[in-house]
Amino acid sequence: MPKPIHSYIWRYALILVAVGLALLPVAWMATMAFKPHTEWATSAADLHWWPHEETWANFEFIFTGQTDAVNITHERTAGKPILASLVTALLGTLIAVVAGTFGAYAVSRFKVGANLPIGVLQLRLFPPMAVMIPVMIMWVFIGAMDTWWGLSLIYGIVTLPFAFWLMKTFFDEVPREIEEAALVEGCSWFRVFWKVTLPMVKAAIASTALFVFILNWSDYVIALLLTRKDWVTIPVYMNSLSNVMSGQMYGAKAALGLIAALPPVVFGIAIQKYLVRGLTFGALKQ
Amino acid sequence: MTDSVVNASPGLSPRPAKSGRKKKPVLTPLEREGKKLGLYMTLPAQLLLLFIVAFPLCMQVYVSLTWWTPLDGTKWYDAYESLNWFGNYGDIFDDSKFWGSLARTFLIVVVVVPAEFMLGLGLAMLFADKFPGKRVFYSIMLMPMMIVPAVAGYMFFMLFQSSGPINDILSAITGTRIDMVWLADRDLAMVSVMIADIWQWTPLMFLILLAGMVGVPEDQMKAATLLGANAWHRFWRIVLPRMKTVMIIALVIRTVECFKIFDILYVMTGGGPGVATKSISVYILDLTFKDLEWSYVAAIGLFILFFLSLIALVGIYYMQAAQKKAEA
Repeated sequence: MPKPIHSYIWRYALILVAVGLALLPVAWMATMAFKPHTEWATSAADLHWWPHEETWANFEFIFTGQTDAVNITHERTAGKPILASLVTALLGTLIAVVAGTFGAYAVSRFKVGANLPIGVLQLRLFPPMAVMIPVMIMWVFIGAMDTWWGLSLIYGIVTLPFAFWLMKTFFDEVPREIEEAALVEGCSWFRVFWKVTLPMVKAAIASTALFVFILNWSDYVIALLLTRKDWVTIPVYMNSLSNVMSGQMYGAKAALGLIAALPPVVFGIAIQKYLVRGLTFGALKQ
Repeated sequence: MTDSVVNASPGLSPRPAKSGRKKKPVLTPLEREGKKLGLYMTLPAQLLLLFIVAFPLCMQVYVSLTWWTPLDGTKWYDAYESLNWFGNYGDIFDDSKFWGSLARTFLIVVVVVPAEFMLGLGLAMLFADKFPGKRVFYSIMLMPMMIVPAVAGYMFFMLFQSSGPINDILSAITGTRIDMVWLADRDLAMVSVMIADIWQWTPLMFLILLAGMVGVPEDQMKAATLLGANAWHRFWRIVLPRMKTVMIIALVIRTVECFKIFDILYVMTGGGPGVATKSISVYILDLTFKDLEWSYVAAIGLFILFFLSLIALVGIYYMQAAQKKAEA
């Protein structure tokens, strides 16, 4: 049935408005990152969107701690926090995906560990703030406070639910005839898992890993509670920038924000197909 | 899909055949091997759960029954020296700051979640059919929720400056110069935080609701159209009933997540001005780091946990129902 032309016009108009609103804050930060500090605009009169003189000075400042344009220096550069974010998010992802994949396969195939599905789900529903006291006591006790492994470990645990449920939906979809054929041939269960099933879900594991990485990379609360100085991650470092300086470092923080925002956006678009599944713990599929 | 095939070959079926309630099912050697392997495979996840859920939860209960703080010099396991049983829990009821921040958190939830739901639903309806450019627009619409929340908070911090672009845009629209001090005004700060949260999480609603909408069979819609149902009727009578589960899942997920609201809010206002935007998470953070009343925080944590678990149970129930439906 052909639709009247005006319905298309309305739809595109509304979509363009929505897209514009979605992009507006990002656009302001992205352009701010390239504005020299004279254009950071503290008065409403000379507010403008596109930088008059595009510059890399903001990026230079956050990485080296100084730049010609700004006469402040900063001894703590963004290098270490970026490294900390990368290391802890990657290791956390590794822990979550390995534990989640094994656990999900066992629950999917052998129906063991009946407490796992709900157990890991509960883990997600609790506000981290409400359960962090014992974790902080524990972390001090075992010397994990402000270390790369302490933060990685907790990231691995809090994102385990996502890894577990995503992998479970993928394993549930693998046709069992293939596994059964291999079993009849005389393979052991573990060989079947390792040599037959795992290669089939390679792409799924990659998607799960990217999904979990996004979550770990986005964390702020946990890093705020469990790091002090050496292993602060990007968001914690970013928020501390304004405390150290006199006034707001708009451009520098925008540049850092842009760097922090990029990986999740790129990865998120790459795994678009599985976002619904991941975010609803496999309850919905696209 | 493949379940029937599996059950057709009982020797390989992971689920032991049900023959009588009391009788222990006889496992084939292969099944026994599978169970054993399964236990080993769940071990990492079980250990992590034990390490971070079971043990800390016991610890939290223990500490919450004392006056222990990290300041008083005793180790946490000696906290029984200042045992006070339910003193901390009693304090919760007299703590007006706690109830205040709880009320503010509820206010945020009841405004933000329905707003996100309606906007997400509207967007999902716009994106329900195919149209040129859909993929690109869809990807852009999902972007806000992928931005690191703390960074999103900073974006809105910049936007809502009194000399920032929001006032600029409003001035351009209304024609008069508007100089609202968004983040320094008690009410406007709350509004700003809500707008930021709606911006970031409407895409999540949109994503989930669109996935639910796509599941509505096209021939039903066509039949309804031929029978003379207009768009409103089609939506109300066909789409909506089929989306009930999806909607509940979306609402529960967002409600639970929104209750934890911290990152955006803390970066934008830090809970201020005064206590105007202090959510429960910010309140707990202050107690933890400024007042160092850890045993009281442990009690509050358990208190919140209890009520959130009730909401969560509803969510889990519907999620499992949806999963069963998807498997069938």
